[in-house]
Amino acid sequence: MSTACLPLSALRACLEGAIPSMMATTAIDGTPNVAYISQVFYMDEGHVALSFQFFNKTRQNILANPRATVLLLHPVTAQFFRLHLRYLRTESAGPVFESMKAQLAGIASHAGMDGVFRLLGSDIYEVLEIECLGQPLLPDAPARCSLLGSLRQTAQRLSACTSLESLLDTCLDTLQALLGIDHAMLLMLDPLTQRLYTVASLGYDRSGVGSEIALGDGVIGVAARERTPVRISHMNSAYLYSRALRKSVQPGEGAIPSATEIPYPGLHEPHSQLAVPIVSGGRLLGVLFVESPQDLRFNFEDEDALVVIAGHLGAAIDHLRDSTQPADAVAEAAEPAQSLAVDGPPLRVRRYQANNSIFIGDDYLIKGVAGAILWCMLREHRTRGRTEFSNRELRLDPTIGLPDVSDNLEARLVLLQRRLREYGPDLRLEKCGRGRLRLQVRRPLELSDVAA
Amino acid sequence: MDTPSPPQLRPEHLAMMERGVSAIVGSCSRALVPSVMRALGYRLAGGGAEITVYLGRSQARQLLQDVADTGRVTVVFSEPYSHLTVQIKSARARVVPVDGGALAELARYQAAMELQVGLVGFEPRFVQAMLNHDPADLAGIHLLADVAFDQTPGPQAGQALSPNPSAA
Repeated sequence: MSTACLPLSALRACLEGAIPSMMATTAIDGTPNVAYISQVFYMDEGHVALSFQFFNKTRQNILANPRATVLLLHPVTAQFFRLHLRYLRTESAGPVFESMKAQLAGIASHAGMDGVFRLLGSDIYEVLEIECLGQPLLPDAPARCSLLGSLRQTAQRLSACTSLESLLDTCLDTLQALLGIDHAMLLMLDPLTQRLYTVASLGYDRSGVGSEIALGDGVIGVAARERTPVRISHMNSAYLYSRALRKSVQPGEGAIPSATEIPYPGLHEPHSQLAVPIVSGGRLLGVLFVESPQDLRFNFEDEDALVVIAGHLGAAIDHLRDSTQPADAVAEAAEPAQSLAVDGPPLRVRRYQANNSIFIGDDYLIKGVAGAILWCMLREHRTRGRTEFSNRELRLDPTIGLPDVSDNLEARLVLLQRRLREYGPDLRLEKCGRGRLRLQVRRPLELSDVAA
Repeated sequence: MDTPSPPQLRPEHLAMMERGVSAIVGSCSRALVPSVMRALGYRLAGGGAEITVYLGRSQARQLLQDVADTGRVTVVFSEPYSHLTVQIKSARARVVPVDGGALAELARYQAAMELQVGLVGFEPRFVQAMLNHDPADLAGIHLLADVAFDQTPGPQAGQALSPNPSAA
């Protein structure tokens, strides 16, 4: 038998599903069996996971005799490889299973096998040996040498950001400029509600800032719940990931108007999607999501790149949050305020106490902690004429109810600022120094607080 | 020992095999370690009851050894575009030398595969590279079909095809 020729990571192009792999197993009586295998999933240098879709002969064989041999064909060079494997276990939940489930849906769509391919489990195998057969006869695709350089530039640009808002915008701008990604969203986790809310987006008709997705819903929700990248290379309407997002909105409760949802902004007919969790210090902070109307837009290298970017984002978000924590929030002199003319008809603002949802006139603005923050500021403004607020006092105000000191107040403020900007010019919230905010009110306020 | 009746291939299976489609060959060692390689072509006789598959020795060394040791082999024929798939197994296989007619058969097979694989988006040069071989490296495996299974993806996948009563 040949010796290992390449590391498993060098064979990842063979594992994208462009060409199905062949799997040989043996029954306990010595009868060989060969079957197509839809998915060989790269786990690490020593393990792959194969899709378990049917209770078939292959399944019977590996449970009785754990040795398997898989024949791979490189989709560009036409070189063959054999993986010699030993079956270890089957997983039917968790990150590997969810990543494979999403990827398989794409493969099924591509192969015209929607409804036939269903992942029952991820069979985990130890890679005993990699056998390279002959030499590649066709040249491999040119290496994406610009990818590492693009990552370097991305890291430099993100490192230069001094606020969460600029970090989010820079991230999306950089994805477009350096990686050619035209549709993207950044979502943050609300640890209170365990839902993700959109704080920034790129390339949609409407920003969708403030739209929410529950953990586990669609590509984004699954990536967050399982803390694993989820990539689909061929989408079609039969797979309901994108529809699940639209269905994840919840009906109104009691006296609260039902229109307290901001529409999800995503592409109507995405063909490729990739969601990567943003994790720092072992905590889930949010999700970086990209999509495209083209099939096969994102391959494993794009996934690698986005995982690196998400890692950098996570560290930067944590760093920026720490720099505005109460302990070291050095009060900066606020930039001088410009006096604003307040005139025109009153601006009617309602707060529903049950969920802190805020309506301006009949338009829904925001809810939850961000709603409580705005209500606190508006009340202070009306009763005491205040316009300036510090992050520190918001963080400590018991009426706002931030879950704990580690909560990402900055992300909630970015969300609130953006929602107000989208509403119009009459009510704005702008930064006026490090850890300080200024409320700008251009019409007289008429506040009404609606009990639960 | 009774000689098994060859399986009765469905007309669509036999027609597919006669068109020239993907053929993957598997066997296993006495220690039950499986071996597998793509065939470079094949020859059919007796309505699929006798099959000779061609392989490159250098890429199928273990497989050829396993067939020589155990007499067991399996071949999966599959049409890439339609996913129509049938698996034929034999415990009466042996490694055979390649005769003079094989090269012409392999050339015809390659032309057929260029069409087949072209239907799923690959260029002829990819198929040429995939099936590239040194004629001096060729080996054959001759088998008498014992059983066959429908392996087209779907709920019927894995069903054994019934024996051919007329050939018993």
